[in-house]
Amino acid sequence: MAASVREKQTAALKRMLNFNAPPLKNTTAEPVWKLLIYDRFGQDIISPLLSVKELRDMGITLHLLLHSDRDPIPDVPAIYFVMPTEENIDRICQDLRNQLYESYYLNFISAISRSKLEDIASAALAANAVNLVTKVFDQYLNFITLEDDMFILCNQNKEHISYHAINKPDIMDTDMDGIMDTIVDSLFCFFVTLGAVPIIRCPRGNAAEMVAVKLDKKLRENLRDARNSLFTGDTMGTGQFSFQRPLFVLADRNLDLATPLHHTWTYQALIHDVLDFHLNRVSVEESQGSEASPAGARPKKKNKKSYDLTAADKFWQKHKGSPFPEVAEAVQEELDTYRAQEDEVKRLKSIMGLEGEDDGAISMLSDNTAKLTSAVSSLPELLEKKRLIDLHTNVATAVLDHIKSRKLDVYFEYEEKLMSKSTLDKSLLDIISDPDAGTAEDKMRLFLIYYITSQQPPSEADLEQYKRALVDAGCDLSPLNYIKQWKAFTKMAATPANYGSSGVKPMGLFSRVMNTGSQFVMEGVKNLVLKQHNLPVTRILDNLMEMKSNPETDDYRYFDPKMLRGSESSIPRNKNPFQEAIVFVVGGGNYIEYQNLVDYTKARQGKRVLYGCSELFNAAQFMKQLSQLGQK
Amino acid sequence: MAADITLLFKASVKTVKTRNKALGLIDSSIRDETGGAKRARPRDRDSFGGRAREVISNISKLKDFLLQHRKDYVNAGGSVMCSDVSRMTDSERDQIDQDAQIFMRTCADAIGQLRSDMGKQVVSAQVKNHRAAVLDLIEAYLKGVCKLYSEQRAVRVKRCVCVADKPVSDSNVDLWEDNRVEDDLSPEEIQMFEQENQRLVGEMNSLLDEVRHIEGKVVEISRLQEIFSEKVLQQETEIDSIHQLVVGATENVKEGNEDIREAIKNNAGFRVWILFFLVMCSFSLLFLDWYDG
Repeated sequence: MAASVREKQTAALKRMLNFNAPPLKNTTAEPVWKLLIYDRFGQDIISPLLSVKELRDMGITLHLLLHSDRDPIPDVPAIYFVMPTEENIDRICQDLRNQLYESYYLNFISAISRSKLEDIASAALAANAVNLVTKVFDQYLNFITLEDDMFILCNQNKEHISYHAINKPDIMDTDMDGIMDTIVDSLFCFFVTLGAVPIIRCPRGNAAEMVAVKLDKKLRENLRDARNSLFTGDTMGTGQFSFQRPLFVLADRNLDLATPLHHTWTYQALIHDVLDFHLNRVSVEESQGSEASPAGARPKKKNKKSYDLTAADKFWQKHKGSPFPEVAEAVQEELDTYRAQEDEVKRLKSIMGLEGEDDGAISMLSDNTAKLTSAVSSLPELLEKKRLIDLHTNVATAVLDHIKSRKLDVYFEYEEKLMSKSTLDKSLLDIISDPDAGTAEDKMRLFLIYYITSQQPPSEADLEQYKRALVDAGCDLSPLNYIKQWKAFTKMAATPANYGSSGVKPMGLFSRVMNTGSQFVMEGVKNLVLKQHNLPVTRILDNLMEMKSNPETDDYRYFDPKMLRGSESSIPRNKNPFQEAIVFVVGGGNYIEYQNLVDYTKARQGKRVLYGCSELFNAAQFMKQLSQLGQK
Repeated sequence: MAADITLLFKASVKTVKTRNKALGLIDSSIRDETGGAKRARPRDRDSFGGRAREVISNISKLKDFLLQHRKDYVNAGGSVMCSDVSRMTDSERDQIDQDAQIFMRTCADAIGQLRSDMGKQVVSAQVKNHRAAVLDLIEAYLKGVCKLYSEQRAVRVKRCVCVADKPVSDSNVDLWEDNRVEDDLSPEEIQMFEQENQRLVGEMNSLLDEVRHIEGKVVEISRLQEIFSEKVLQQETEIDSIHQLVVGATENVKEGNEDIREAIKNNAGFRVWILFFLVMCSFSLLFLDWYDG
């Protein structure tokens, strides 16, 4: 897999937008204009990958939602990118009847069933529009790629496949089947786009196993069907240089409930935790000015600004996994370099003024025109850089405000200590009863982590004390009920997960150096250094990839869709360590795990790891789901 | 990898047709199948789409023309080894320059025309946005082709400048040989004339050099100036909007001042009445007291 999953998906989208022909390299080709019509699923898939400007460059003049009111534009071809659901099909048939566009290129995000295809066919016949339907394609793109190596399944109906939906006690078999089918469909699309058939490993006895069984079956069926197999032919030709198949590890969220609740310290994870961030777009609330408003004046309006954090933003790519103080420093550095370049450009002005009075300055003039040309051509870059610096300054300031008001650094340190079972210097009760350290949610999270990671549950008296303190702080105790049940269940099943040893040491030296020049006054916020430690998911991946033997992973099931006969054994046939792996967490994942995997991959040369989850939630959303589960 | 199910779709169409026939539904679609295809074709040339496509085809013709003659144009006749057929004289190059410029201007005018026409027509918002975007695309295409042209020209001018640096000393030798023929002039005068000639030639050559340099610089400057003027135009719209805001703000401030003046006057008037009332009350009290007592 030389190209990342994001590049593959983008290339597939671009091909689709070029009327399903490979795009030409010629930059001054004739423009051909077209319309793009999508539904909400399509919108979520396209928006992290292609910006509006890129769409315009490809000739898309208008992009519209399927279910909006659309006017007829009679001489333009229209490209549809929708899911094959009943309502979408009905709307397409309606469009055909109303003859809105010149020609129709229908692209379905996942495979469409025969009966629905016939519905469209009959509507086209009725409207005499059969020749207008120029091409119909199954795109197999039913997943959202957020980063080069991270994907999620869907954003629209995520309650349907959320942790809550999978683990609720009154779930029916039909519901479960429906959920599994959705997940397997998306995973199948993912592997078709990737162009590789993986080797699947999963733990026993939970939702992950069900997904693995179904996925194996689906892949097997598709491979057997030699005529229509999606894994032969072109897919193998394009950049497919590795002969080894990737490893696909399915994990279940129940394996590790502490990580989603954990307070974090890296930039991207912090933004996801503290601000409103999804599909690579963050919205920051900005309040105007900080002076006290005089009595009787209207309250200052807060406006929300949203920013896109894309792959083109070099600062973001470099620093999204760094600890927050590093990010602050880096923003300061960027600002300094930008100011230096700006001064260069301003200096030209004075030079031009001087030389204008000099006679016979032709030779000098040539030098100056060259400088001027270079300055003018570098202006757009400078402006772009300034915009990015502003963006990151605003975002980082907002995050810093949150950290300071909620004392997130204290929580982070404490939780790290809890998860690594080192000695605690402050008692849990102190932190919980401290009125200005964090919101009620933060305290609840801390307590849940304590509960999950403690070897034996705290005694009844202690528990009562904690509960009272939590209720005083205003927390809702229903997640606790669910965690109790979960803990009892997992104790029966397996050994509790341990989080590896880690250390957190505050950096006293650097804080002084940083505080002197920095715009971000981080007084009162400790500069904590993250030491490398492995979360449970990373450890499992490590064991499976390197074929290490470990009691946790030894009885994982083994599936190989390419083998002729499905074997029930869990003995892997392949004895070599894998070079590529895909980790998928059923029930939800978050950026902390992703960051951990990225760090793991960086430490080992030549290995590539992709991370996927059925949905992406931050701690607040996860707590809501837990409390819903606890109330049942 | 996407799966092309167009054939599957056509097959489903056939299935549905046969099913309809079997069910005895009236099939007017058989008759109109070809008609439907005809109807789908853009019928009026005068429509927006037709005219836009015309403009695009013109620009493409220009682009092909430029690319075709590019090799000859750029090849500034340096080596003796190139065949005479492909050489272009400078006058031909100038002709190409002029033609290309006229053509580009007409295309830009056509785009402007389309834009104003579009503004006059009454169509829905979506169609308006679509047409505006189409015109932007065409403009971007035209700009790309203009860039081609200006690059070619810049290369040509640079070449000329470099070529002109070669000293024109060859001509001196010829002059010397030609002037051996003596007419009625004495040898000293002839020598003087020759020296003057050479001096004049030298001066002319250096002037020519300088002019060529300047021409090159002017071409560069004109490009830069284009960029600047674009930016200035952008700023103009922004300044206009700021101007509007400022005018509105001054109005508001003026009205505010008026209101404050009113309020002060009312305040003062009110005070006068209060004082008057108090004085009257005290006088009435005194009067009552005097009356009673």
